[in-house]
Amino acid sequence: MSKILSQVQCRLMEALGASEQALEVRAAAQRLGLNQSPVAAAAVELAEEGLVEIKQEPYEEYSLGRKAQWDRQKGLPEAKLIEALAKAGGEAQIKELSEHCGLSGQEVGSSVRFLELKGWAERTAALLKLTEAGREAIGSKSADEQLLAVLSQAGRAMTDEELKAKGLDLAQAVRLLKPRGGWLSIKQRSRRMLSLSKAGTKALAEGLSYQEEINQLTPELLTEGKWRDVKIRPYDVSLPAARIQPGKGHPFARMLGQVRRVFLEMGFTQMSSSLVESSFWDFDALFQPQDHPARDMQDTFYVRRPSQSKLPDKQLVQRVKEVHENGGQTGSLGWQYKWDVDLAKKAVLRTHTTATTIRALAENPKGPRKVFGIGPVFRRETVDYKHLPVFHQVDGIIVDDSGSLASLLGTLDAFYRKMGFEKFQFRPAFFPYTEPSVEVFVWNEKHTDWMEMGGAGIFRTEVTEPLGCIEPVLAWGLGLERLAMFRLGLNDIRELFYAHLDWLEETPLCL
Amino acid sequence: MPVAALPVDVLLKLLPMKLGAKQLVRHLEQLGCDVEGYTTVGRYRCESCGTVLESTSSEQSPSVCESCGCDFRAETEKISQLDDVEVIRVELLSVRPDLFDPGGLARALRGYLGVQTGLAKYDMSEAKCSVQVDKSTRREKSRRPFIACAIVRGIELDETLIKIVMKLQENLHWALGRDRKHASIGVYDLDKLREGRFSYRTVGPSELSFVPLGMDEQEAANEMTPRQILQRHPKGAAFAHLLAGFDRYPLLADEQAVVMSMPPIINSQATRVRKETKNFFVDVTGTGQRVVNRALNIMVCDLMELCPEAVVEKVLIEYADGEITTPDLQPQQMSLDAAAAAKLIGVELSTGQVAQLLEKMGHGAEDSGGGKLKVSVPAYRNDILHERDLTEDVAIAYGYENIEPSLVKTMTVGQELAIEAARDIARQTLIGLGCYEVMTLPMTSAESAYEKLGLAQTQEYVEVENPISVAQTMLRTSLLGGLLETLSLNTHHDMPQQIFEVGRVTLLDKKSQTGASEYERVAVALTGSEAGFAQGRSIAESLAGQFKSQLTAEPLDNGLFTPGRGAKLLLAQADGKQKEIGRLGEIHPQVLERFKLSHSTVVFELDLEVLAKRLEAEP
Repeated sequence: MSKILSQVQCRLMEALGASEQALEVRAAAQRLGLNQSPVAAAAVELAEEGLVEIKQEPYEEYSLGRKAQWDRQKGLPEAKLIEALAKAGGEAQIKELSEHCGLSGQEVGSSVRFLELKGWAERTAALLKLTEAGREAIGSKSADEQLLAVLSQAGRAMTDEELKAKGLDLAQAVRLLKPRGGWLSIKQRSRRMLSLSKAGTKALAEGLSYQEEINQLTPELLTEGKWRDVKIRPYDVSLPAARIQPGKGHPFARMLGQVRRVFLEMGFTQMSSSLVESSFWDFDALFQPQDHPARDMQDTFYVRRPSQSKLPDKQLVQRVKEVHENGGQTGSLGWQYKWDVDLAKKAVLRTHTTATTIRALAENPKGPRKVFGIGPVFRRETVDYKHLPVFHQVDGIIVDDSGSLASLLGTLDAFYRKMGFEKFQFRPAFFPYTEPSVEVFVWNEKHTDWMEMGGAGIFRTEVTEPLGCIEPVLAWGLGLERLAMFRLGLNDIRELFYAHLDWLEETPLCL
Repeated sequence: MPVAALPVDVLLKLLPMKLGAKQLVRHLEQLGCDVEGYTTVGRYRCESCGTVLESTSSEQSPSVCESCGCDFRAETEKISQLDDVEVIRVELLSVRPDLFDPGGLARALRGYLGVQTGLAKYDMSEAKCSVQVDKSTRREKSRRPFIACAIVRGIELDETLIKIVMKLQENLHWALGRDRKHASIGVYDLDKLREGRFSYRTVGPSELSFVPLGMDEQEAANEMTPRQILQRHPKGAAFAHLLAGFDRYPLLADEQAVVMSMPPIINSQATRVRKETKNFFVDVTGTGQRVVNRALNIMVCDLMELCPEAVVEKVLIEYADGEITTPDLQPQQMSLDAAAAAKLIGVELSTGQVAQLLEKMGHGAEDSGGGKLKVSVPAYRNDILHERDLTEDVAIAYGYENIEPSLVKTMTVGQELAIEAARDIARQTLIGLGCYEVMTLPMTSAESAYEKLGLAQTQEYVEVENPISVAQTMLRTSLLGGLLETLSLNTHHDMPQQIFEVGRVTLLDKKSQTGASEYERVAVALTGSEAGFAQGRSIAESLAGQFKSQLTAEPLDNGLFTPGRGAKLLLAQADGKQKEIGRLGEIHPQVLERFKLSHSTVVFELDLEVLAKRLEAEP
């Protein structure tokens, strides 16, 4: 016996010798009262010496995917669909099913495939027919639903053995859930099982001896000079290190920070305003007629408490009223209707950050000025992969006697270049409060198509004159979520606001 | 915004040059149209009422008729398939209703491409027919006082053209009529009517009956009174709200009392337009003369683009207090300062060049001296309110892609909001301590914000009047709910977990102008087997320390925290008094259970604005 072993190596061999079964690295570390990494390193070294055998035992770890968590309450749509089919007398047009079961047409459409896969229904053209198997499945839980229920109940990841022990038909559940994407996450993992080799058993029987070898330099070894007497154990420098992640800012918050920096760099002053806003500032001051579809209950969140906001000084309100009704002093025809002051008082959740810039302009209408505001805005949308009731915008204005459409395009050009985009396009557009107006498009290589980013233009005279502003005001309001999704490669907008820590960990700071 | 599906072959036939698909899309985009792309649509005819129906996929036929409600599943013989058509899908711009159909688009393209510029001429013959308007249309309880009409003769119709006219009518209802409220349009087969003096009047709910559009005329049972139409007919029920509170209803009829329509609800089946129809009577009724004229002008001008062989005849409208003749296609006269327009666009243009560009957009333009142009705006344009609108037309005709981007030369100094410095300090500190930043929605529900957290609703919060989901009915009053939601989405992730959010919360505030006030907060949540009060307190202290502030804590008992493990966080003010600026505590097991969290969790939330004020204090 001439091998020089370290203390950890010796202790590991003794522990393995004392155990009747092979030990997993974690279990061995526990017995030795050590961390896993020195034990794992010792095991690898001993295996190289032929004293220990390491066997990789693969296993699978199951956990709920993101969609399963977002739609946890809803569950899989098929159960509702077969019930609805049964109620409809065993068959129905796919188009009409959504009325019967409270699911959206899109959800119904995407579930048909799974009904067929489960053998619960057959489809001929647009007609869906319940099968015998489908009828029997009503009220009971299929393998995929069972698996989701068990995982949801456990609230943690589970191994395949654990799940099988619960009597689940795992193969069937996986077959049904995998094509759905996002519902189930399966990680391939392996355990390293350690046991003594024949040579190792023999060496242990012969008795082990070790030379004092140290892993870590201690202050004592250094101050007392003892380091001269010990051997500092060499490492296998090629071994990978444990993965650790730094604390991080949210990728979207960092992007909002970058947007802010870009405008500061271009000499803009930042402003903010309230999320609750009067219709006056959100719409009327921007010359949006009071019957404009954007002001509909359909699109805008109105507020019950506070139901009304106060209006600014009477003269300003009067000038805005006149400009709506007949153009006032602006030389415009106006919208030619009777303007209602009560509608202007109605409080809304602001629908754009233009409410911020128009307030800033009213406060000080004299150029030269450059102002911007970033923040959340609200539109009446239900939550799905493409929509949220809240999104972020950056609005800016330049009040300058020399301002022109050309300098508006130049400013937007500079902004998108600073944000790292090279291919973009400006097209004419129509907004109630700017004229001329322009829409910005950015090239999306992945979809090989132009993506709409937001609107801009020169504020109409009907907007600026009532505020006492006589210079051209270049203005823009750009959506930021799309920009973020584009840059971060996201397909689902919920990722930004219903964050998964693994996504935050995995997303590098350079994006 | 609705999308119009325009038949490509009809559009291309109206253009004198050949255009490829890509070129067409590009030109339309440069005109300001939002093109979604090309598709093929399947077309069907309802044999019951004759309506042409469209379906986005040629395999899937419609199951009911959108016009008469005929159920094709029960009566399979009532539907027949027509040829598929290729369409270009264009998003409708409510301000440019003159671009809603292939006729109007072709007119705009011919001008933009320089083939046919300047004011379009539409010849009209003098009025032979009249409409007598009864005073009762001005009564409060039967009010729809304005009408404009035209006769169009010599039209050659096919299924495609009928569909185009119907859709134009529908889309004008949306854009100009605000869903028929301000204006509604009727188109009738003139040959089914006695030409001469038509009448626009009002009738009592059960005064007469007629067969409404979409029902078989031969069956007497289909005759309905106005009241029955509003109750039983699908279109009647859909638009009944427009006549709510009326005791008499508008009615348009010919000399022999053949009912043409009950505006703004429905036409009669007897006068409906079919393939064989050669001559149209068109009416627009509404709440203002300007809006009904506009709608009629677009109908008439675009019909003449679609059927150049047709002839328009004016109609005399006899109001109780005077007469007018419609359609009135007199161009609107405006003046444009050419140099000012060029300056605003940011390009060099002579007065003559500006005039040429205006003519490309279909305007008439004459130099009236002194750099001014006298501009004649065509009667189908609804969006020209101001000189500025003409400037935009000049810019579009010049081509946005031809404008050289520049920057304003004026020097300005940038300045961020004061609160941003505090936000940055909070984020830097917490990231340095290994926390992950999250962002959650500023909308929540009272259930999530209070009940789920075991808290009483002590604060006055901003409540939405028309929520779209039970999960989002109010603006958040705390960041803590969002953090716990986030943890509950991450129960599968390795422990421990440390997250934070910097964001705004909103509370009612009678003193503020909007009625609510916002406060910047920072909140942290730590979960894991070791997470506890002491760790939370350390992080809170460390954070406050970066703002030269020291926190003290006092016991706080609420349903959110485990009894004896919750605290108010206080900050000593300049006057020596303690001000509450936040709360800290271990989450009650009951609350953890509701969020399905299986580890001890500690949270705190601090008012960032109070801390930010410390930055302004003397160093």
